[in-house]
Amino acid sequence: MKGMLMSERVKDDAPAAKSAPGGSRDALPSLLRNGIRIRALTGADWFSALAALVLLVAVIGIMNPAFLNSTQLINVVQQSVYIALMAAGIAFLVTQGEVDLSVAGNYVLTSIVASVLIQGGMNPWIAAAIALCGAVAVGALNALIVQGIGINSLIATLAMGWVLRGLAAAVSEGKQIIGMPVDNSFFRILGGEKWLGLPVSVWILIVVVVVLTVVLRATPFGYRVREIGSNEDAARFAGIPVGRTKTYAFLLSGGLAGLAGLLGLAFFTSGDPTSGGGFELFAVAGAVIGGNPLTGGTATIFGAVIGAILLKTVGVGLVYFSIPAVWSQFATGAIIILAVSLNGLMARRKQRRRQT
Amino acid sequence: MHAFEAQDIRKSYGGVHALRGVDLAVRPGSVHALLGENGAGKSTLVKIMTGVTRPDSGVLRLDGREVAFANTAEAAENGVAVVSQELSLFPHLSLLSNLFPMREPRKGLLIDKREMLRRAEPILDQLGVDAKPGVLVQELSLADRQLVEIAKALVTEPRVLLLDEPTSALEGGATDRLLEILRVLRSRDVGVVFVSHILQEVMSVCDEVTVLRDGELALSADPIANHTVPTLVKAMIGDKVIATQTVARTDVAELAGEAHGALVVDGLALASGVHGVSLTAKPGEIVGLVGLAGSGPTEVLRALAGIVRPTAGNVTLPGGRPAPRGQRAHVAAGVAYVSGDRRRYGLMLEKPIWENMVQVRSMGMLRDGALLRRGALLERALGHVERVGIKVGSIEDDVSSLSGGNQQKVVMAKWLDNAPSVLLLDDPTRGVDVGARAEIHGLLRGASNGGAVVLLCSTDLEEVVAACDRVVVFYRGTSVAELTGDQITTQAMLELINTGTPDEQAA
Repeated sequence: MKGMLMSERVKDDAPAAKSAPGGSRDALPSLLRNGIRIRALTGADWFSALAALVLLVAVIGIMNPAFLNSTQLINVVQQSVYIALMAAGIAFLVTQGEVDLSVAGNYVLTSIVASVLIQGGMNPWIAAAIALCGAVAVGALNALIVQGIGINSLIATLAMGWVLRGLAAAVSEGKQIIGMPVDNSFFRILGGEKWLGLPVSVWILIVVVVVLTVVLRATPFGYRVREIGSNEDAARFAGIPVGRTKTYAFLLSGGLAGLAGLLGLAFFTSGDPTSGGGFELFAVAGAVIGGNPLTGGTATIFGAVIGAILLKTVGVGLVYFSIPAVWSQFATGAIIILAVSLNGLMARRKQRRRQT
Repeated sequence: MHAFEAQDIRKSYGGVHALRGVDLAVRPGSVHALLGENGAGKSTLVKIMTGVTRPDSGVLRLDGREVAFANTAEAAENGVAVVSQELSLFPHLSLLSNLFPMREPRKGLLIDKREMLRRAEPILDQLGVDAKPGVLVQELSLADRQLVEIAKALVTEPRVLLLDEPTSALEGGATDRLLEILRVLRSRDVGVVFVSHILQEVMSVCDEVTVLRDGELALSADPIANHTVPTLVKAMIGDKVIATQTVARTDVAELAGEAHGALVVDGLALASGVHGVSLTAKPGEIVGLVGLAGSGPTEVLRALAGIVRPTAGNVTLPGGRPAPRGQRAHVAAGVAYVSGDRRRYGLMLEKPIWENMVQVRSMGMLRDGALLRRGALLERALGHVERVGIKVGSIEDDVSSLSGGNQQKVVMAKWLDNAPSVLLLDDPTRGVDVGARAEIHGLLRGASNGGAVVLLCSTDLEEVVAACDRVVVFYRGTSVAELTGDQITTQAMLELINTGTPDEQAA
């Protein structure tokens, strides 16, 4: 009854709202309307990362026109899928003031577990499902250590990453797990098949971005994630279950790292205990550059993915700029520091503008 | 000659004129009141005089010499100290270290702790700080932190001291000691600027008064003897009519949940030393809880909100159910807890107004399902803006863009949004101006009329007199007396909270 009364009242007041969506916008001249849209676009958290990516692609293309062909570009995106999936999961954690550095270890262990099971004769899809459950379980373990025992997630997940990688090395005895049934639908579909010109793994990334964006923007969980990052005390006082929300985010991060591991296995058709080196750095830096500040409170999944693709593109670009291989790690690290610094400076400027 | 003088100060923030040519001249050996409503420009002027911000134009003169401070440290070196409204202590450092930030006395390369103690102890004694100098600031109560903040200014032995609402977090006894210290400083020829909302304090301690209104001078260095509380209020608000009388907001009544029965507390005890607290609060009445800091009211309120777990006793919620365990379960059972520390516990400052308003019901309690429609949330928030009377440009603006009073109304709105049947308020109008305070009391009355049980803790006894129907008085950890109707006077409450018994001699 009360609710009914309220909404009736609200309707009377609605025209007074300048900011209510829809409504009075139609009255605006179309030019002004577009102006507003462009402002909303450039003001978005992910805009600078996307702009930087376009610029980078253009620069590499000018120096070396061979780069600007669709096969090559799709290739770069395809190679970015693994860190992009991890960045999407980490965005949910960074926003809440937590982090997951075990994603690379989780990636490796998932692909080793799946490949060992497949090598033993199990159906690849079933093996993948089992390995994925393991990856989510790792997320649960992270949450238990961070939430239950109260260890800082930075150190807890960093150590967990070592544990996982070590486990992968032990299970595989340090060797590549080969002899995968490459004709199986698992390897055929996830490893190379293209739908509408895009590899299936890229489609999976797109679906993940869309679904997680809806989760972030339109579900109570998504609101909770951002509100906890904004003010954890106030969130707890408002009845938001902080521990549970963070736990779900760790599960999500673990699951996405596992998914990345399975896609990697399907693509490379072998389990490699030495793969995934530095993926956690790319994933975290990608999420941050893409518009998920370490200070928390705001999040963008699209931005996190763009940030990860941006960093991968840098790596590919180094090849085109013929940087000697021995220097590539140095250059990648330096560029990440540069990108994160630029991002931080811009965020600070934006904040200062808001204050005055 | 004036000890410290500001002349024709102008300052604007992005087109908004905070100060439009104001003067403030402090004589040595005087206490100068600086008054005005929230947003009148008091804090801006204090910030300019202490080097926190720079004026757009105008001059500062110290002993007749023109000065420009780059920051508060430079101001302090020149003998100008400030006690600011926002606490600026380091929570992880000891009380003693906080008194000498960046200016510890040294013996060679090492910090001379003995010298620090020698200088600090008399001041801490004077202020009545019981805590040991080695205790970490994060372990101190808000009132003690405020005293440490004041002590920090005093150890610099300033020639000019500016206090920006230093008593907002203090209880009666501490406030009296502070006012006494101001008198001592005056006798030592210090020039004091005193910013306060509490006009009785101003009348009792100040010599001169300057009043700002909308960034301009309404009164300039007028002797306080020419004034009474009503004339000061008139100077502050001008011709504007402000309802200081509580008017119940009937449109809030329909939001509040109806409490079926009373909230009953029986023999409640807490780890903090609170014991044997029993009280009953019925729907439709506003019950005040008063006592000195640490004597129980705040602690009991926090226990009723599920933040601390009682060690003994029973709490029965309206409707007869026993209180659940945990803060979230309390929110789910219809309990709302509004803290005076709204920046920490009440709001997400860099989130939009609408999101703050809907978060308890839609995000905390999931009462609107698994998919939230932004449009519906905005509409609901818009209705609340109307109901609680917030002056706002757009509900998509960040909460931080609102004044303190409006921010606290957002907190009220977010709780009313969840239709609480029990409203617990801990100093809800801290740092809120007179007009907004009366409006918030109106909200409480509205919720109470709507059938909610309302409990109010306040360090401001005037507020309790204005807002409450019944008062439970705490003394040394337990409830000792109850006042109703005409018995609720500042005088009666002061006696009870300080002695635990009514003063027979006065009667």
